[in-house]
Amino acid sequence: MAEQTKTKKKRSSTIVHSRYGCAVGASYTVAAIKGGVPIAHCSPGCVEKQYHLLTFNNGFQGSGIAAGGDMPSVNFGENEVVFGGVKKLDAEIQSALKIVKGDLFVVLSGCSAGLIGDDVSSVVKKYKELGYNIVYAEVPGFKGNNLYGHEVVVKAIIDQFVGDYKGKKRKRLINLWSEVPYFNTNWRGDLTELKRILEGAGFEVNVFFGPHSRGVEEWKSIPKASFNLLVSPWVGLDTVKHLEKKYNQPYLHIPVLPVGEEATSEFLRKVVAFSGLDSSKAEAFIEKEAKEYYYYLEHFADFFSEYWFGLPSRFATIGDSAYNIAFTKFLADQIGLIPVRQIISDNPPAKYRKELSELYHNLSEGVSAEVEYIEDGYIIEQELEKVDFGNSKPLILGSSWELDVAKKRKALLVEIGAPIGDEVVINRSYIGYRGALTLLEKIYTKTVGG
Amino acid sequence: MAKKTINLDMTECNNREMRIGTIISWDGKASELVEASNYEQRSKHEKHHHGCPGGKGKACQLCELSTPFSQQTMCANAIVACQAGNLTDCILIEHSPIGCSANHIHFNIAFRIGLQRRGKSPENLKIFSTNLNENDMVFGASDRLRRTIDDAYERYHPKAIFISMSCSTAIIGEDIDSVADEKEAELGIPVVPLHCEGFRSKHWSTGFDVSQHGVARQIVKRNPEKIQKDLINIVALWGTDYFTEILKPLGLRVNYLLDMASYDELQQASEAVATSTFCHTLGSYLSTALEEHFGVPQIDAPMPYGISATDEWLRAIAKVVGKEDIIEDYIRSEHERIQPELDQLKEKLKGLHGFVLTGSAYAHALICALKDLGIEVDGSVVFHHDPVYDSGHDRQNSLKYLVDNYGDIEHFTVSKTQPFQLPGILKRVKTDFVIIRHYGLSPVAAKLGIPALAMGDEHFPMGYNGIIRLGNLILDIVARKKFNKVLSRHTELGYTDWWLSQEDPFVLAHKPELINEPIYETNGGRYDG
Repeated sequence: MAEQTKTKKKRSSTIVHSRYGCAVGASYTVAAIKGGVPIAHCSPGCVEKQYHLLTFNNGFQGSGIAAGGDMPSVNFGENEVVFGGVKKLDAEIQSALKIVKGDLFVVLSGCSAGLIGDDVSSVVKKYKELGYNIVYAEVPGFKGNNLYGHEVVVKAIIDQFVGDYKGKKRKRLINLWSEVPYFNTNWRGDLTELKRILEGAGFEVNVFFGPHSRGVEEWKSIPKASFNLLVSPWVGLDTVKHLEKKYNQPYLHIPVLPVGEEATSEFLRKVVAFSGLDSSKAEAFIEKEAKEYYYYLEHFADFFSEYWFGLPSRFATIGDSAYNIAFTKFLADQIGLIPVRQIISDNPPAKYRKELSELYHNLSEGVSAEVEYIEDGYIIEQELEKVDFGNSKPLILGSSWELDVAKKRKALLVEIGAPIGDEVVINRSYIGYRGALTLLEKIYTKTVGG
Repeated sequence: MAKKTINLDMTECNNREMRIGTIISWDGKASELVEASNYEQRSKHEKHHHGCPGGKGKACQLCELSTPFSQQTMCANAIVACQAGNLTDCILIEHSPIGCSANHIHFNIAFRIGLQRRGKSPENLKIFSTNLNENDMVFGASDRLRRTIDDAYERYHPKAIFISMSCSTAIIGEDIDSVADEKEAELGIPVVPLHCEGFRSKHWSTGFDVSQHGVARQIVKRNPEKIQKDLINIVALWGTDYFTEILKPLGLRVNYLLDMASYDELQQASEAVATSTFCHTLGSYLSTALEEHFGVPQIDAPMPYGISATDEWLRAIAKVVGKEDIIEDYIRSEHERIQPELDQLKEKLKGLHGFVLTGSAYAHALICALKDLGIEVDGSVVFHHDPVYDSGHDRQNSLKYLVDNYGDIEHFTVSKTQPFQLPGILKRVKTDFVIIRHYGLSPVAAKLGIPALAMGDEHFPMGYNGIIRLGNLILDIVARKKFNKVLSRHTELGYTDWWLSQEDPFVLAHKPELINEPIYETNGGRYDG
């Protein structure tokens, strides 16, 4: 049989329509820190390519101060490959420190440097000893994708910049680890919402990335927090476990981003309970938020109950672990849509998959789904061609790569994650109290009309 | 032509800097660069004996500025993705870790729009990645490549498969030539290795040459049985099909190469009556390969932007296709047709200054079009400079054409997309807008209060209608200054005060010792003074 002959060959690693970048994409983790300056110790093209998947063609997010075209990069030539790249890196760092304004410089070395064995640490050490805030992270693309790179870079900053701490902890201060900057298209809006609701519940919150972070000063305060809050299925687990060891800081892992009032209020109660703080402030906040949420939901209900021209019922979700489970759960549990095909495309490490799959078994009372893990876009699209969406309009939550298959299936495509090449994202959020309503607006705006 | 400049026997094509002396860093007057380039002497065949800019002989002394600092740029591997990866019925396989494929979504937008511009229905592009990991780096990845070639063949039955080399696979010594040979024999379709690893050439445009080399070497029909006397090749990217309307009166149909072309369209390139291009930087390699190896002449003329260049381009085509009898009437009637609107536009655009930042030859051509609109151009940034093109044809000397016909450009800069230089560069000139291709520079201009015309449709300003289109669009762009002024009032550039106070954008090349002097400000958490 054809299948048998195939299995004799080397297992296919093929990917078409990539939904993630490589480890060097973590340069955008640095770029998301106020005052953070990435220095790419890479060939030309490396970080330029990450820019396209992570920001430009992912909601056209822009890139801030020291990223995009402005990102310092050694741009390896043949000379560096043959004779080593450290000399050029040295000149690059020295000049970047004079030319590019920043509070923390992070050298990220890619495939070429990794394969030829450049000693990046000794170059960086020289500038560190001069008193500059500078760290390095080895993130060659062959080691993993941008999610892997994200954690390597976060750990590098913690170990090489934040450093040791012996002082007291502040009871109300928490470190929030959640979405991956730029990769999770709504990261700015979502972190804003998470910070808003956690502050509403009585916490002070380090968010580390985006407009509501205080930048490097906030990173320095990591050890002062009473605990780490991880809101993500698996990205960030390495970080919070590392912090637990390093600073004797406990962590609370909530794998599903809260979407909608019930999930968000439950989320806040869990965090408050873990903290041991008095819950009265949180309860007052929850009450106020719930009132507002249901005011709007009540009005939305008119449309939802009375629209004559058909609404989608069955949906497929294609995306990274964090967005996939969050939106699948919300639509299944709070809106009553039926999950028919869920595919996680960000290649979570094998050790996390069992627990992740388990989350889909408990989406809501009486609602369970089987999630699959596929990174090859060709196979993802083949799968979507086969899905039974019943008689109503199919709904696909996915990326811009699903354009062709959505057209074929006459489906509504709501882009939820990287890459998004045909929507502009500024500050939107689809999570928490407010974001959930925006998500409903998005889905049903696509639905209505002739 | 006695000696061939392009060697199709090898799978690799020589880097642009080795072949034609390309540079990426220079600053001066355009006229000085014309002189230093010494196009005519370089175009003589001696250049091919010692073709590097640092080699022997007078033609090889084009000096380049060297700065210690660099910012991210594109690479040749990306260019191959946007050329060999944008064919309708062929597949490109990127033999690399997945990061090299992170730009596909970007080219997908261009591809979908490009298909529509050529009257084809939009669909996603289908570039494959072998998606290599650390084990593959240690133990070799050729089996992975074979498997991905099989996947591509089984899934899409493409008419040809291209394989692109990346930095990592080049460093570990992957033999893509052998795998290509083996698979070509097995599958019975061309399998084309492309040596385009990012570190290979100092400029990404080598990627155009590499793609075109592969197409000329393994796809274009050798010894075609027929000549299509009404077919002209236009080497292009994704631009709108404006070439058809301007060439129709000469009885010509357009065969666009390479983007959005099918295998058959690539094959028939050798059946065409001539080859031209929207940009000599992009088109010269393939045009010359077709001329030298397939007997298809290339149009020896400036690119068709601006009135006189368009005239000359049309005349040169008419000569090749035997339409000299009608061409003067055609040109005259076109001049008369656009003159009233051109006059009105010039009145509205009076006093405006523009600044062009694009690839090399394209910038020369665009400035011609701007000058015809009466717009002043005090400066320009080109992302590289070719002192000569592969063809060596005299009338393709586009920078000389600009300077001879429209006067000098005072501040002419060669710089490979380096935004940190832009504040200094723009300080030296007066400009109301910038025209730009390639990412990363216009956001800096934007914060300085200058709106950008992102020339995504590279054919937009071509021909007589193009000048009118361009003039009208500039009026729209200049209106956006409102936005840019808001931005400049409330945002800052990410460079130190010391750097922003420098007058000379190449100061570190001219005074390298400056890098060791203190800047008297705090940066990176330390006071440097």
